[in-house]
Amino acid sequence: MSEPFEPKITAFVCTYCTYAGADLAGTSRLKYAPNVRIIRLPCTGRISPMFILKALQKGADGILISGCHPGDCHFTHGNYHARRRWMVFRALLAFTGIPEERIKYSWISAAEGLKFADLINSITEDIRKLGPFDQYHKLIEETQAPASL
Amino acid sequence: MSIEQLYRTRAKELLSSGEVKMVIGYGAGSNKERRRPLFITSAEECDKLVLDSACISNLSGYLLTEGLLSDEKRVAVFLRPEGVRALNVLAAEAQLDTAQIVIIGFDSPKGELKALEGSSVEEFTALITALKEITPETAGEEQLAKIEKMSPEERFLFWQEEFSKCIKCYACRQACPMCYCRRCIVDSNQPQWVNTSSHTLGNFEWNIVRAFHLSGRCVECGNCDRACPVNIPLRLINRKMAEEVLNSFNHFAGTSKTQEPVLASFKKDDSETFIL
Amino acid sequence: MSKIGVFICHCGENIGAKVDCTRLASTLGDHPGVASSIEYKYFCSDPGQESVKKAIRDNNLTGVVVAACSPRMHEATFRKACAEAGLNPYMCEIANIREQCSWVHNDNDKATDKAIDIVRSMVEKVKRNNNLQPIEVPVTRRALVIGGGIAGIQAALDIANAGQEVVLVEREPSLGGHMAQLSETFPTLDCSQCIMTPRMVEAAQHPKIRLLTYAEIESVDGYIGNFQVKVRLKARYVNKSTCTGCGECITKCPSKKISSEFDCGIGKRTAIYTPFAQAVPNIPVIDKNSCTYFKNGKCKICVKTCPLDCIDFEMQDEFEDLEIGAIVVATGFQVQNNAMYGEYGFGKYQDVITGLQFERLASASGPTGGKVQRPSDGKEPETVVFIQCAGSRDPSKGVKYCSKICCMYTAKHAMLYAHKVHGGKSKIFYMDIRAAGKGYDEFTRRAIEEDEAGYLRGRVSKVWLENGKLMVRGVDTLLGKPVEIAADMVVLATAMVAQPDAKEFAKTIGIGYDEYGFFNEAHLKLRPVESSTAGIFLAGACQSPKDIPDSVAQASASASKVLALFSKEKLEREPVIAVNNESTCAGCWGCVLACPYGAIEKKDIMDRSGKLIKRVASVNPGLCQGCGTCVTFCRSNSIDLAGFTEKQIFAEVMGL
Repeated sequence: MSEPFEPKITAFVCTYCTYAGADLAGTSRLKYAPNVRIIRLPCTGRISPMFILKALQKGADGILISGCHPGDCHFTHGNYHARRRWMVFRALLAFTGIPEERIKYSWISAAEGLKFADLINSITEDIRKLGPFDQYHKLIEETQAPASL
Repeated sequence: MSIEQLYRTRAKELLSSGEVKMVIGYGAGSNKERRRPLFITSAEECDKLVLDSACISNLSGYLLTEGLLSDEKRVAVFLRPEGVRALNVLAAEAQLDTAQIVIIGFDSPKGELKALEGSSVEEFTALITALKEITPETAGEEQLAKIEKMSPEERFLFWQEEFSKCIKCYACRQACPMCYCRRCIVDSNQPQWVNTSSHTLGNFEWNIVRAFHLSGRCVECGNCDRACPVNIPLRLINRKMAEEVLNSFNHFAGTSKTQEPVLASFKKDDSETFIL
Repeated sequence: MSKIGVFICHCGENIGAKVDCTRLASTLGDHPGVASSIEYKYFCSDPGQESVKKAIRDNNLTGVVVAACSPRMHEATFRKACAEAGLNPYMCEIANIREQCSWVHNDNDKATDKAIDIVRSMVEKVKRNNNLQPIEVPVTRRALVIGGGIAGIQAALDIANAGQEVVLVEREPSLGGHMAQLSETFPTLDCSQCIMTPRMVEAAQHPKIRLLTYAEIESVDGYIGNFQVKVRLKARYVNKSTCTGCGECITKCPSKKISSEFDCGIGKRTAIYTPFAQAVPNIPVIDKNSCTYFKNGKCKICVKTCPLDCIDFEMQDEFEDLEIGAIVVATGFQVQNNAMYGEYGFGKYQDVITGLQFERLASASGPTGGKVQRPSDGKEPETVVFIQCAGSRDPSKGVKYCSKICCMYTAKHAMLYAHKVHGGKSKIFYMDIRAAGKGYDEFTRRAIEEDEAGYLRGRVSKVWLENGKLMVRGVDTLLGKPVEIAADMVVLATAMVAQPDAKEFAKTIGIGYDEYGFFNEAHLKLRPVESSTAGIFLAGACQSPKDIPDSVAQASASASKVLALFSKEKLEREPVIAVNNESTCAGCWGCVLACPYGAIEKKDIMDRSGKLIKRVASVNPGLCQGCGTCVTFCRSNSIDLAGFTEKQIFAEVMGL
């Protein structure tokens, strides 16, 4: 039997809530899937759609964007701006055929270590089921092929 | 008197009275279907103005020509309703002062030319508000529905096919009145967010970024779509995004010159059904 | 060329037992740009830090990545160590391989693979880090305290007693706030005015406190250490500098039947008045809306009466600009208008009153001289029904929250009533008795056991007038029976609500507020007296319903925050702030709109002859808090965030 597919997932999180929640999962010694790589930003407001495109270019099969719950943003309303931005951006991606299921959004507070661990497990499982993002990977391969004249 | 005649006379009056320093309109093109922008500064030239249903391009972008409006003199411009919406968006984004613009409004629904009353953006508010309620019956609608019905894989293939044609000439950007940035993100190489190689990956990125930067701002004038030398159906993406901001945030770009940009504002009760 | 040092900490077994640190160190050692890659048991220890410093000096490192615990633990430690070795502290980053790797994964190989990715990504980031300097901003050592109730007075006195200047602004004609209206205070039953008025006088006479009463805040600009505040000094129509407070004008004023705000409508006042006898300052104001001269152009009796010619009908509002370093907001609360409780008959029957009105009835300085008398006919009530939670904990008609003080003041009211009206019967409808606090439960027990307050657990459904009695129908849920009580007076334990203009005020000074209009603290538990705006602090009931001890404690806490701020000549802040590239900025002002702090201003770019070339966004480093929302909004990629630049994040993602 072949090894199960291990998806590559990139997470962009704010430092005040979700990053702290991930730390809490650690200090609580919760166990979760090792597929996610976290990039820490000051606020979800700082997370640019470009980051998603670059993560996809690096071969991510899934992406997670997570920050403070509405009303809890350390910067008062960076997450509200982010929420609007993602509403629009995910519609755009979906329309161009980049499946909504591959890009996840969540609110995880500094207290929700358990939610963080559970979420990482569940999205890893979801994306494992979707399989590798072959369509995009083919585009990446094309850029890496030697030029033929 | 034909509308064309009427507007030639109007242009003459505006220029000879000194009310405006320039009229931006349409002139004859290389054939009957093509019109080219005309920039007129003297009353004598006004007879070169052409107005018919072939005058489709949105001329509002020319107003942002470096230095044109810096002397605070006024400029008249031929605009369709979407051109007036574009003026509002540009004013809301502080790119121009609508007090400097004299609108010569027209439209050609179903190919029939008609004059539109009013010379300032405020006089078009009712017309634009009415437009918001109408689902546009563009040719793209049918194709849009078709794409929406596709599976993600099929959609990806569809756009992969389309975007693979892109030669990154940026004609879409050049033609768009909203693409007024002095340095486009695609020209920034520290870091190089958008892959500039001619691979489909970079084309994908460019087209996604372009559409995202226009979300909530695009007035669907179609300039980009017509400018594209390889016929990528950009109007479909623009249409989709306009629908998205209308449905999600009740936002219709260019309803007023003080409209808040949809992505620089928020409501605390914005929809968040997609957030886990 | 980058020379990055990678320091892999075993954290004892915490990392070492899960992540193969040797593989990690050798993999990173081969990574381009890495000059040194070493592992050690505890890098946070003294010898550990020394080895980091030594590596920096020996290899001339340009950047440092410490792969260890969360940056929330030891980022500061390692940045300090780097600075001591001569490296800019912001050239050091932490790769979190403990909380987010070794502690959360079972498989050693996969954990090691992940750790390699995490560290490599961070190395790529550090290669693009810039030397940053902490931002220094000067501090104006003058505090503004807004609100002259007990919280504001306490904060002002604490700051002034530490030797710092204070401007105390109160919008009413006198200091005192709600506390001055109270009769006795729980749980000690000492007279409110006896403890309040000396503090008012102390504040007014303090050499370091400048008192501005009858004044309101017009605008607040600037940022921590450097606020510019405009204050409106409302026209009193009485010359402050010459008036001695003799009170002749008040005695002679013919408009005597104006409902007194201070007495909650139970007492009357004149058109020229001080709110109460012990007012500070003891200088009257003319109520323009009630004054006969202002209404009819005739009267001027006060002008004729005043021996010192202090009355000036031509007086106008004046404005004053203040330079302020820190602000304490102590604007207090209001009692809720009970008009929505039609079933309780408030507003319909004169003898259905609010708790605050009862305070005035029971107060020795009140309209009845401290005798408990019915407002309708002046008779002593034989039976009084108190209805608790009249507004509080009532999501359908009132407010959702508990007003916190009503259980205590109702018990106090029952006691005062028992002391003043011998043989008087008090009945109290309550939902729960919330008497948490020093001496509080003992106090309510005393009300029940010594002063025979009759507590009935249940709600009141209706109050109506029948044969001169206020009939109160409710339920005693402990007996499971409906009850009807014939009362002479009904007292509603009204909810504490935010000031009616609290939300507007919050916007004026730039702080957050909750759904009720109470001001938001920066963190409910750990930063309870700071607002979300640096340099603005909160005290008293403007933040949430509070009793006097809590308000005073919070005021002193705010004062200590202000004093800590004033202890330095300059402030140092993390240099994580936005910077705009003016040459590429298109001036669309999206960032200006999106910035939660109003930190982005419009700046004119002129040519040499002074002609405007263009307008661009400009970030005020004092106001910017570094969230980066503007960066994401900027289509032309002109704004960037120091410490989390586009280049850095790009490299981090591409380094994965």
